[in-house]
Amino acid sequence: MTKQISLTIDNKKITAPEGANLLQVASENNIAIPHLCYHKKLSPTGACRLCIVKIENQRGLIASCTVQVSDGMKVTAFDGELEEARKYLLDWLLSEHDESHDNSYDDAFRELVHRYGLDKKENRLFPSIYKELGYPTDESSPVLSYDAAKCIKCFRCIKGCDEVQGKNVLSFTNRGIISYIIGGFDNWGESECDGCGECIQLCPTGAIVEKPHRSAINLLNGIQKVRTTCPYCGVGCQLELFVQDGKIVRSNGVEGVSPNDGRLCVKGRFGYDYVHSPERLTKPLIKKGGKFVESSWDEALDLVARKFSEIKEKYGRKALAGYASAKTTNEDNYLFMKLVRKVFGNNNVDYCTRLCHASTVTAMLRSLGDGAGSNSIEDYAGSDCILVTGNNMIETHPVTATFVKYAVQRKGAKVIIIDPKWTPLVKDAHIWLQPKLGTDVALLNGMLRVIISEDLIDREFITKRVDGGLQAFERLKALTGKYTPEYVKAITGVPAHLMTEAARVYARAGSPLIATGMGYSQQVTGTHNVFCLINMMLITGQVGRRGAGLNPPRGQNNVQGVSDVGASPFTYPGYIPVEDEENLRHIARIWDVPFESLDSKKGLSTIEIMQAAYEGSVKGMYIMGENPMLTDPNLNHTEEAIKRLDFLVVQDIFHTDTTPFADVILPATAFAESEGTYVNSDRRVLRVRKAVDPPGQARQDWEIITEIARRMGSPLGNYRNESDIWDEIARTAPIFAGISYDRLKDQGIQWPCPDKDHPGTDTLFLEQFNTPNGLGKLHPVDYAEQNEQADETYPFILNTGRILYQYHSSTMSRRNKALTDFANQAYVLMNPGDAERHGFTQGQKLRIASRRGLIEPIAVKISNEVLPGELFMPFHYPEAPVNRLTRDEMDPYSKIAPFKLSAVNASPYKG
Amino acid sequence: MTNPLQLMCTQQIIEQFAPEQHNLLNILHALQDNHPQNYLTEQALDDTARYLGLPKSSVYGVATYYTMFSLVPRGRYIVRVCTSVVCELHKAGRVIGSLENMLGITTGETTPDGMFTLELSECLGQCQDAPSVMVNEKVYNNLDDNRLAEIIHQIRGSQKTANR
Repeated sequence: MTKQISLTIDNKKITAPEGANLLQVASENNIAIPHLCYHKKLSPTGACRLCIVKIENQRGLIASCTVQVSDGMKVTAFDGELEEARKYLLDWLLSEHDESHDNSYDDAFRELVHRYGLDKKENRLFPSIYKELGYPTDESSPVLSYDAAKCIKCFRCIKGCDEVQGKNVLSFTNRGIISYIIGGFDNWGESECDGCGECIQLCPTGAIVEKPHRSAINLLNGIQKVRTTCPYCGVGCQLELFVQDGKIVRSNGVEGVSPNDGRLCVKGRFGYDYVHSPERLTKPLIKKGGKFVESSWDEALDLVARKFSEIKEKYGRKALAGYASAKTTNEDNYLFMKLVRKVFGNNNVDYCTRLCHASTVTAMLRSLGDGAGSNSIEDYAGSDCILVTGNNMIETHPVTATFVKYAVQRKGAKVIIIDPKWTPLVKDAHIWLQPKLGTDVALLNGMLRVIISEDLIDREFITKRVDGGLQAFERLKALTGKYTPEYVKAITGVPAHLMTEAARVYARAGSPLIATGMGYSQQVTGTHNVFCLINMMLITGQVGRRGAGLNPPRGQNNVQGVSDVGASPFTYPGYIPVEDEENLRHIARIWDVPFESLDSKKGLSTIEIMQAAYEGSVKGMYIMGENPMLTDPNLNHTEEAIKRLDFLVVQDIFHTDTTPFADVILPATAFAESEGTYVNSDRRVLRVRKAVDPPGQARQDWEIITEIARRMGSPLGNYRNESDIWDEIARTAPIFAGISYDRLKDQGIQWPCPDKDHPGTDTLFLEQFNTPNGLGKLHPVDYAEQNEQADETYPFILNTGRILYQYHSSTMSRRNKALTDFANQAYVLMNPGDAERHGFTQGQKLRIASRRGLIEPIAVKISNEVLPGELFMPFHYPEAPVNRLTRDEMDPYSKIAPFKLSAVNASPYKG
Repeated sequence: MTNPLQLMCTQQIIEQFAPEQHNLLNILHALQDNHPQNYLTEQALDDTARYLGLPKSSVYGVATYYTMFSLVPRGRYIVRVCTSVVCELHKAGRVIGSLENMLGITTGETTPDGMFTLELSECLGQCQDAPSVMVNEKVYNNLDDNRLAEIIHQIRGSQKTANR
């Protein structure tokens, strides 16, 4: 622990940690030393000189932001000389400064000018010369404007971009009085800037301001600020929404709280337009004569209840199913799950996790006993080795990636990437292994063999913490024996020396973290891939302590929470299996239903529900906030399945690719219109708060669900609000037992949190694993060839994935000008060699076909980001629905589909 | 004499240097010297940034920090008039005026034939023989109008010879 020392500032006695920043210490003790360039997230700059102080026995006026406190230090922060010097410095800065102001941003400089009386021209020494200096503005970025005449050259933007976001896009041009900040070649819009807006949030003078909605902002006129959680990926960034006249006009990152400490990505900062889109669903719609007709809530809800009841009556309780939603709150999903289990009377409830990390969760549950990330997002910053497998984290979890980049760029950590496709993190990587698609098990077994043959294993850990100890290890050793570097290279294409180096770096690291993504999970061998990762982690003992472990960053805002609260065909809240009789009795008591009425057999999973609809055993379906007609695999099959349903209800905020097939469409609320909670990728329960009213007659998801249940004659309970629902969740899920809304006011809490005094758990598996015997389990698995291979007719293997500027099926992200200005077009990536061989030119329109379907036209982007023989397409765009091409073959353990591997061919589009 | 770099493309010039950030200035000099119009094109800056793994803004920042680099096309001969205090005392202002008259351009401009660009410079370190002017790499001292005319005439003559 850091030693506490004593110092005085203006004769006030202060205790502080030795070595702490003097300006920060003063600020925390309510001594407001003026400053502009200092920010506690950034390294001290000492550029503005306003924070000057006098320190006994030191010469001159010293910038306090550059001083570390020591014992006995005597500091003068305010006296006549210091104040005069500050006023002089401000006066001088002011002479180069455009003082106009539109009240749309906080201006720390302006406040100081006022504080020192320099707003009165007669108090100034220097004339204003900014106009003569000819400072430029830069309006080229889609999301921000820069005005050099308002810039005080404090370096905050440059350092924020570099030190906080790890992007280092900004710099100065020219020198002396005419220098100013630039992105790119003095053209922000054509620079490497990805629009995260960290610089906007850190700018103290309004020189860098956002473009979207700024004209609507007047900070002097009734701005309401609402703290909530970002609706995009599973990082769970804490947002402060600015609301003016009932509309969101700004989104800032909340400083000083986990997981993001003020950081956001472009989606979190600029992706809120969709909430106020005129295309929002505002009234219930009922399909009559093939057309949707507006209806009252009563008519729509009665119809839904009647139809579901009729199907249950006619075909039995197994004929109904539901897709819950990773986008809505825990409270919504808990009640949705309760409706399916209590009212439908079966376990046919699942959601998009089955298409996402189901295999990771399955492997982790079987081996480690918990299906969630073992560590905290901020732990990446302190890691010395980060193994990133099939995970384009800079684009899919941009804020998590900032911690990884920090570790590499500031602390010398080594990143090892396993990915057939180039990702932006490769720039920071120590090693990039590029195995052919679908060969990961062979590669990892090769790495295991290196670790075993070079004796980089942790015998003590294996003996104490692994089920079967060294005997189990011997079985793994025997299996991996044949994976020699030559054998692995023949399968994967990865050079032996790189694979060997990667295995050594991981095994020897002090606190390595594995970040595994869709590239590993979305395969028929998804569970096997993660078994291999876990095998490697267990035999090297790289888990069970702070800063070491395995973490799957979750793709959507609440994909973790929906599983946690039991919207799964296999588990009740808290991952308790549906077959667990004791739990069923416990739940039956809480729900006030006969124990026998609860189905104790596993339900159908996401793809199985569609297959059952296709085969006719599922007749009625309730889809909340999901868009399977874009995101399910093998869409032609999915479409046929959906068409065969007797009755489909879709509850959403927009028309989607799925709503045309619905019989009833129910308008629900967006994140900013809801109260509740999400759980992020590091198991942190985070509050979601209502900032604006829903449009038209749109209703809260949970209210719609309770109404349907009531009208089906089986009320779910008397919930006054979301907090009541949460309290019931906490009673059903032991991992949440100690969490209540009052504890979530300022910070999230990481589960498991078993009682009210428990602080939450930042690291899993410290003492033992969560398996029945507390031991981790090895699962030696062999490489198996994929069922679908490239052949003469379908010579390419197609990979699919995500990009930074779009999100999931793009229903939200595409309704934001800022995001679509950056990226709004589908494409297929192809290796230059392949393009040349086929005679394709950059941007040419192609036709891509698989055994299951085709997409045309789609522009080809020729790039060595993909290996020869492999293609890549983003899955966001409805006009290029990549899942027409993918397969619905399933991983036998987790039922996930192989989105990452489809054999296709490419030919010129003929128009 | 033909510059041996002149026949090389941007990428070839860049790859003569190791891809290390400390080579940035050397690369920029080589690129500028190689260009017949004595300047750094955006393509050159872009290729340099990519080669060294630097953000575009860093390369641009360096290129604009140093006055010896230009981002706009210039003449084959860069005439730099020293504006240090000593040269000022020795009528550097008059040198500038004379050169502007002789070349028919104002400071910062390039002659229509692409021969000369007139620029100002920080101290050339020739105070003992002020006023001074530097033309490309060569320094001329103790200047008056006659001497300046002679220098310009000489360069034009040598260029004609070279063209023949």
